Amino acid sequence: MRHAFIDKYSHLDSPVHRLDPRVKIITSLAAIIIITTEPVSGRLLNLYLYSAITLAITGLCRIPARYLLKRMLIVSPFILMAALFYPISVMPAHEVSFISDRRPLAEAGLSVFLKASLALLILILLSATERFHRLLMALRRLKVPAIVTTISALLYRYIFLLADEMIRTARARESRTPGVLRRGRLKVYGNQVAVIFLRSWERSQVIYKSMLSRGFAGEFPDMQEMRLRSSDILLSLLFVALLLLIKFLI
Amino acid sequence: MPAGIKIADLNFSYSPNKRVLKSVSLEIDPGEKFGIIGPSGSGKSTLLLHLNGVLAGETGSVTIGNIPVTGKNLPEVRRLVGLVFQNPDDQLFNPTVEEDVAFGPLNFGMPAAEVRARVAEALAMMNLSGFEREISHHLSLGERKRVALATVLSMKPEVLAFDEPFSNLDPSMVMQLMEIMGSMESTQVIVSQSVLPVIAICNRMAILKDGEIVAIGEPRTLVKERSLMKASGLDLSLYRTLCSDL
Repeated sequence: MRHAFIDKYSHLDSPVHRLDPRVKIITSLAAIIIITTEPVSGRLLNLYLYSAITLAITGLCRIPARYLLKRMLIVSPFILMAALFYPISVMPAHEVSFISDRRPLAEAGLSVFLKASLALLILILLSATERFHRLLMALRRLKVPAIVTTISALLYRYIFLLADEMIRTARARESRTPGVLRRGRLKVYGNQVAVIFLRSWERSQVIYKSMLSRGFAGEFPDMQEMRLRSSDILLSLLFVALLLLIKFLI
Repeated sequence: MPAGIKIADLNFSYSPNKRVLKSVSLEIDPGEKFGIIGPSGSGKSTLLLHLNGVLAGETGSVTIGNIPVTGKNLPEVRRLVGLVFQNPDDQLFNPTVEEDVAFGPLNFGMPAAEVRARVAEALAMMNLSGFEREISHHLSLGERKRVALATVLSMKPEVLAFDEPFSNLDPSMVMQLMEIMGSMESTQVIVSQSVLPVIAICNRMAILKDGEIVAIGEPRTLVKERSLMKASGLDLSLYRTLCSDL
């Protein structure tokens, strides 16, 4: 069975792809902090400029727009909800029905929408321009606890197998279900999920034994070579400096 | 030089009420290809896990070469004994083939240059040169089985322990795997329900039933004892009928 991998376009070649993953992680984090800490009102010009820069970098990455949009659509309902309700939620309840000027509210909503979308786009670019396991290795080198990176690596490795098992059990159910499942639907779905959990647990036991049998002592060994180039650091600093310039001088 | 195996009076249970291994004693010579057959639930895989120290018996002992399998000796034992699991998906947990094959040697603290050489050598042995950067779970089942074997060969073990190596393989893949196993000089312990390949490969075999060894001998001699095979849940009469028809 084929799955959509988050690092599907990591093999492409672009200036962003070529950056050291550690630099990419730190730069992305810095950009997200700078963008999301903008006030929600009166700073739309800054957000437009951030958007222009982020879109320019997105163009450099050569990742199909369709792929990026599809990824963003998954989270877009949450962003839209936040953009719609945040401006109202921060107002005193008795004032909501008496608003005469809706422009500040619309600006605040747009601001929330842009900030969340940009942060999301930056994360998607980060994961799409680097192999997932290289990102984990980079996180490890950035002193993220081994337990976090190990669990993430195993999750990414086995989530597709679990999805396959889910599909197989669904097929088995459908093959014995004439038409639409009418009676005890919740119970059947509940049983199916329980079976997947049990199988996952059993599989995790075997995998752990397999890891132990090859000398696993609590941490994934690392033989990836990562070379931090001065040009990577310079590019990253320039990018962050540009964002800071917008934030504090405009 | 491959290591021999000595198992003496081994007992093991997963829960207090149910003993899975009952006074199992075996001696396997260095370089021997030894089969352990038995119906499912007879304790074959459990016995295999004791060779590598993944499970520890309640009483009794396991010795690999001159090294007793104890908590103190686990690193050395795990370098000596390579376990090949039934399902390659349980064995391939790294993103790329190279990282999976390198996992064992790196855990044993080998330098990166030596690890790379071992990875290349193990993959070449499995006809998988050039697969280093492939994503393990994108490969076919046959390829994954071979990568799983390479992950163990990279540790250059003196004992290879296979858990159901022939399950889910088509006949040509079974032949291919048998050729690979036949060409290796290490001591091999093959746990399987597929009796025919075991007969073809092994010098000796044991029949395990309900956690007890009920017979040890030459495979071709043992399988002729029809009542023993039938009583052990390994009735081969269907094969006999088919073979005579073919």
